Amino acid sequence: MDEEFEESLRLKFGQSENDGEELPALEDQLSTLLAPVIISSMTMLEKLSDTYTCFSTENGNYLYVLHLFGECLFIAINGDRTEGEGELRRKLCVLKYLCEVHFGLVTVDGQLIRKELRPPDLEQRTRVWEQFQSLLRTYGRLREQEQSFAVEAVERLIHPQLCELCIEALEQNVIQAVNSSRERAGEEALHALLLVHSKLLAFYSSHGASSLRPADLLALILLVQDLYPSESTAEDDDTQPSPWRGRSSQNIPVQQAWSPHSAGRARRSSAGTETDSSLPEEYFTPAPSPGDQSSGSTIWMDGDTPPTDTPQVQMAEDTLQTLLPCCPVPSSPRRIFLDASVKDSYCPMVPHTMYCLPLWPGINMVLLTKSPSTPLALVLYQLLDGFSLLEKKLKEGQEAGSALRSHPLVGDLRQRMDKFVKNRGGQEIQSTWLEFKTKAFSRSEPASSWELLQACGKVKRQLCTIYRLSFLTVAPGRGGPQLPRHLQEQVQTLMQEKLMDWKDFLLVKSRRNVTMVSYLEDFPGLVHFIYVDRTTGQMVAPSLSSSERTSSELGKGPLAAFIRTKVWSLIRRARRYLQKGYTTLLFREGDFHCSYFLWFENEMGHKLQIMEVPVLSDDSAPVGVLGGDYYRKLLRYYSKGHPAEAVKCYELLALHLSVIPTDLLVQQASELARRLWEASRVPLL
Amino acid sequence: MAASSSAETKSASWWNYFFLYDGSKVKEEGDPTRAGICYFYPSQTLLDQQELLCGQIAGVVHCISDISGSPPTLIRLRKLKFAVKVDGDYLWVLGCTVELPDVSCTQFLDQLIGFFHFYNGPVSLAYKSCSREELSTEWDTFIEQILKNTSDLHKIFNSLWNLDQTKVEPLLLLKAALILQTCQRSPHILAGCILYQGLIVSTQLPPSLTAKVLLRRAALRDQRTPAGGEALQDHGAALPLNVQIIPVFLSEEEAVSLREFPGELITSSPAPPARLQERASALKEGATRHVESTAWTVATTLESTSPDVAWPNGRGENGHVSDHPAELLDTAWGRAPGLSHSLGKQAALFRETEDLDLSEIHIPQDQEMGTSSDYFAFQCVCAPEGGGPHCKESVSDSGNPDPRLPETVPVGTAISGLFSPSAPEMLSQNGALEQCKDLPGDSSAAPISREDCLSRRTSWPLSSPRLESRQTGAELPVGDQGMEQGVDGVHESCSAPHLERGSGSADSQGTRPPADRTACGSTPASRTGLVRMNLYTHSVKGLVLSLLAEEPLLGDSAALKEVYHSSLASLNGLEVHLKETLPGDEAASTSRTYSFAHLDRIQNVLMANLPQVATPQDRRFLQAVSLLHSDFAQLPALYEMTVRQGIAAQVGKVTCPRVTLFLGAEPGFDPGVPDHEKRLRSRVRLLQPRPGNLLPAAGGGGAELRLPEPTG
Repeated sequence: MDEEFEESLRLKFGQSENDGEELPALEDQLSTLLAPVIISSMTMLEKLSDTYTCFSTENGNYLYVLHLFGECLFIAINGDRTEGEGELRRKLCVLKYLCEVHFGLVTVDGQLIRKELRPPDLEQRTRVWEQFQSLLRTYGRLREQEQSFAVEAVERLIHPQLCELCIEALEQNVIQAVNSSRERAGEEALHALLLVHSKLLAFYSSHGASSLRPADLLALILLVQDLYPSESTAEDDDTQPSPWRGRSSQNIPVQQAWSPHSAGRARRSSAGTETDSSLPEEYFTPAPSPGDQSSGSTIWMDGDTPPTDTPQVQMAEDTLQTLLPCCPVPSSPRRIFLDASVKDSYCPMVPHTMYCLPLWPGINMVLLTKSPSTPLALVLYQLLDGFSLLEKKLKEGQEAGSALRSHPLVGDLRQRMDKFVKNRGGQEIQSTWLEFKTKAFSRSEPASSWELLQACGKVKRQLCTIYRLSFLTVAPGRGGPQLPRHLQEQVQTLMQEKLMDWKDFLLVKSRRNVTMVSYLEDFPGLVHFIYVDRTTGQMVAPSLSSSERTSSELGKGPLAAFIRTKVWSLIRRARRYLQKGYTTLLFREGDFHCSYFLWFENEMGHKLQIMEVPVLSDDSAPVGVLGGDYYRKLLRYYSKGHPAEAVKCYELLALHLSVIPTDLLVQQASELARRLWEASRVPLL
Repeated sequence: MAASSSAETKSASWWNYFFLYDGSKVKEEGDPTRAGICYFYPSQTLLDQQELLCGQIAGVVHCISDISGSPPTLIRLRKLKFAVKVDGDYLWVLGCTVELPDVSCTQFLDQLIGFFHFYNGPVSLAYKSCSREELSTEWDTFIEQILKNTSDLHKIFNSLWNLDQTKVEPLLLLKAALILQTCQRSPHILAGCILYQGLIVSTQLPPSLTAKVLLRRAALRDQRTPAGGEALQDHGAALPLNVQIIPVFLSEEEAVSLREFPGELITSSPAPPARLQERASALKEGATRHVESTAWTVATTLESTSPDVAWPNGRGENGHVSDHPAELLDTAWGRAPGLSHSLGKQAALFRETEDLDLSEIHIPQDQEMGTSSDYFAFQCVCAPEGGGPHCKESVSDSGNPDPRLPETVPVGTAISGLFSPSAPEMLSQNGALEQCKDLPGDSSAAPISREDCLSRRTSWPLSSPRLESRQTGAELPVGDQGMEQGVDGVHESCSAPHLERGSGSADSQGTRPPADRTACGSTPASRTGLVRMNLYTHSVKGLVLSLLAEEPLLGDSAALKEVYHSSLASLNGLEVHLKETLPGDEAASTSRTYSFAHLDRIQNVLMANLPQVATPQDRRFLQAVSLLHSDFAQLPALYEMTVRQGIAAQVGKVTCPRVTLFLGAEPGFDPGVPDHEKRLRSRVRLLQPRPGNLLPAAGGGGAELRLPEPTG
């Protein structure tokens, strides 16, 4: 039992599960264990209309975070105090978002999404679970290692010249090349981007394409990193120049030697770290260090692996693939759902096909295409939206029976639905729609609102089913239409040729993108900063990599690691206070003076009057981008008071020595912000 | 009842549920959940609802314990949070609103459990020996009392209800402390506290114990006979009407902290290490421990060096010293170690804060003393000379030729500062520290005021009076005659040793027969680690003297009589004075341009200027305070924090390891305008040196109120 218990605890994330169905698997053992909690939370919801959001045990040793998304209850558990409530909740929200990216509007229906997440076929189920576990692991790693993921903004590789060159290449050699090809099978290339590790080098969108949200761009980087992890830690080892070879030759034996029952956990540890110094609760250092091992009952003792690792018994299929070749091989295209505007109207979760084309280890090209069936997604979204609205009204008990029929929204919905059903055909949708119509519009005996709700749910499910059939079942990976292989290879080779001379430079540059040296003179006492433009979702920060070979100015020893923990904790605290409505935060802790500012500007760079920011509850979605774009909402909220001008939102996090007096600190922050703002004026995209 | 129900409805806003659930009563499938509910607040909750909550929470607690190996301590819902404590089969649960910080919610529950244990012993035993109804009434009283007295800020800090010391004449505090000390000299008595209308006047107990004793007052006033109290009452037929002795149960740590030091040490040490440690560990403050250790070092060096350094310099001429070396040791070390310990601590703190420039303070030059600690060592060593067992003589012998005293403590200012009726106001208004700073060369005012601010800043309220009393005792000979007010207290302190001797018991607590203590210590109330003691309470109208004593007190009628008689007159006097001086209504709050709250983390007492009914602006302040408080509690290295919401700024500071200051700026505060800045800066300065409350901020005052934003 104990073995089993540990085993199941190692699985940190219970996948979304409903009402505790029993099944035989590690994940299901956990769900069985958690069943009382799940049932109780439903009971509380029913009887008290309130439900659990968090449990913590003595000294916060164990932390359970529960989040209800529609009908799905997500539970995150941490047992080593490495993650606080905010982080766990964020992770749940990211998981939810990743589900949306992969399943689109199918997530609207609880039953259908449950089937997607827990397919009846065992093999398929394992694959789906592994895929998400791997994604979460990657997310955890990036969040702990990359400043860009810590603040959830895209980091650009700062090299205007090269950027221009790349954009040109992407435009002519990729987008235009694909769209002018006769073999593209109706697929239309929309966006192309170049990534060096997790940094964005260049991004080009075709003329017809709508812009990509920062969250989606981050999600793309996350997906690429999951497919082709750039192990900053492993690859920087001098003995292993090729990261991929490094990974395959080193880490697999390491895993086996180490923790046979949790192979997945070991995957991002570098060679030579398996010195068996069992450090319990090593202070969190982002640098690779020993101590990554599981022993006894403390399972997440590892100090350096992202504590968020969702360790699983096996590696995800995708990562296994990448181990085999020593040269990157393009993965099969993926169906993903991103927000876009279709025909001038906003539509969330529009199906796209993502082609990830690795150029060299660490440098990847991503191509996004849309299929000709995109308009269908819009229609389905609008119908689903209409029915959701109707459902809401029914639940509120506003309209019933006759009042409902006369509602303009319903009339419009009926018309569109009629048209859709006529064009679409389909037995089931027809009968369901007919049933709804008789219930809703029958003059003789109007149905009760409960009955209507039932019918409404059925229609929605039918719509979701159509959505699923159209975009998931015939996904590119599953034999759906996709760009021919040779066309992919063609653009890949072209880009490789273009960047051949730059390759090594890029890899180094990505490690030392911005250096603190250039700021030290003008800003004495400044230790580190992160500047984020929330409108574009991009950030600038001096490199903080503390890997073996490429050290920052801070060196690579404990000091660098210490600064990292300071920066990360500043980010955490700033978010917490922002959630509670505070836009400025200054605090002195030990030898450092930390500061955080959020402010608004107009297009001209003039600061706008600060205003009250909403105060959110502890169980609200965390402040961030990936798990629900907080800043987008904030900007919309602020813009209401400034309808005349375009509002921009910026954040600055700074770390000073504590001897720097506050007024000097603030003055420096102002100057720094101005300087970075001017730099960002240089158009790159 | 009307009052209580209104309190309940008002309280419902943050205190939603409290229940005690006995899991052992619900084992079988058929057992109804209600069988396990020992107590449920609010009692008018529908039984179904009670069952739902108890059942669900108990179930979830069980499940989480299964998975994690330890039970949850906090369960949060969207609108509620439950602090949970598992005690064998028993489950204690307190439900509060989510606005209350997690820490506070857990602390409240601990406090409640503490109350219950203190008065009733272990739960299982209590519920065996008393009926549920009986205990439920007791619970109701507890809770009602807590809710009635817990303001918005108390809620956050979970602090004790204390008298606003700026509104009381310091002399009365001194007197209260003296009463406690006097009582402490009686056999069996360990320590105590004095309350006035439910507020702390003076306490010798650690905060956790004071909190428990505080609650008793309510029960007494309500004329409720305590469970198990009857047996004692008939036993003590000789007990006067307003005196009561009841058995209480202390946790082992509490008992140890009380017994750890001989009486004298407890008396004079502002916070014995045990208490400090208790707080310090609670604060997880390495710094506190550091201070503590410094304090101890200083204290020891004092002990070893001061006789050598201090005495030979002309003081050897002093008759007492040369004539009675043994007695000197006796008097100096019999009493002074505690004092020097406390002074040492102060000195250490003093150095740590570095805010008060030592050079600004007049140190009498003929003392040849290099450091402030030496200076204090001297003070405390010399004080007993006059104020010790021989004080009667020295008092009567008004011509006591002590050449030093007039110089050291210039009597004119000092004494009048202490005893003139206007003096307390002067002290509280100006702030002693300001005084020190403002009058650097003024030798007449410096020593006493400095001592005053020192002792007040760092000690329990009682320790400063003690210091002063010693001084007064010593100075009396040269003082003026019209000090009626002071005489009482002085006499107390002077006559006490004689009384003690007269009573025939050990002549100091330091030599109290160890058997006494060990005997008590070895009779734990149960296996749950509770130690039985007696709580002696003597009430004089609104004033209550509560003393914790070893159990034999009850049978020792001589000791009882001694305690009673030694305190009776002074209690009566104190009551009258307090009634006269305390302003009747606190509602007359002046218009505030800012809010502040100040928490002494060692004593766990609070000072603030928030009104009873919070304005929206105050709510904002409270929100900031609770957020900042949580952070300060978690991060030992964090010492200053400024946050801004919209246009209003809030500042939180930890000015030394134990004091936290929160200041809210008015909403009109514009960080960009220098005028505002200056105003706020001076405000922080004004706030900080309040006598008895604020330690100077580390590193240069509160100038950190600028909250501009980047970009010009």
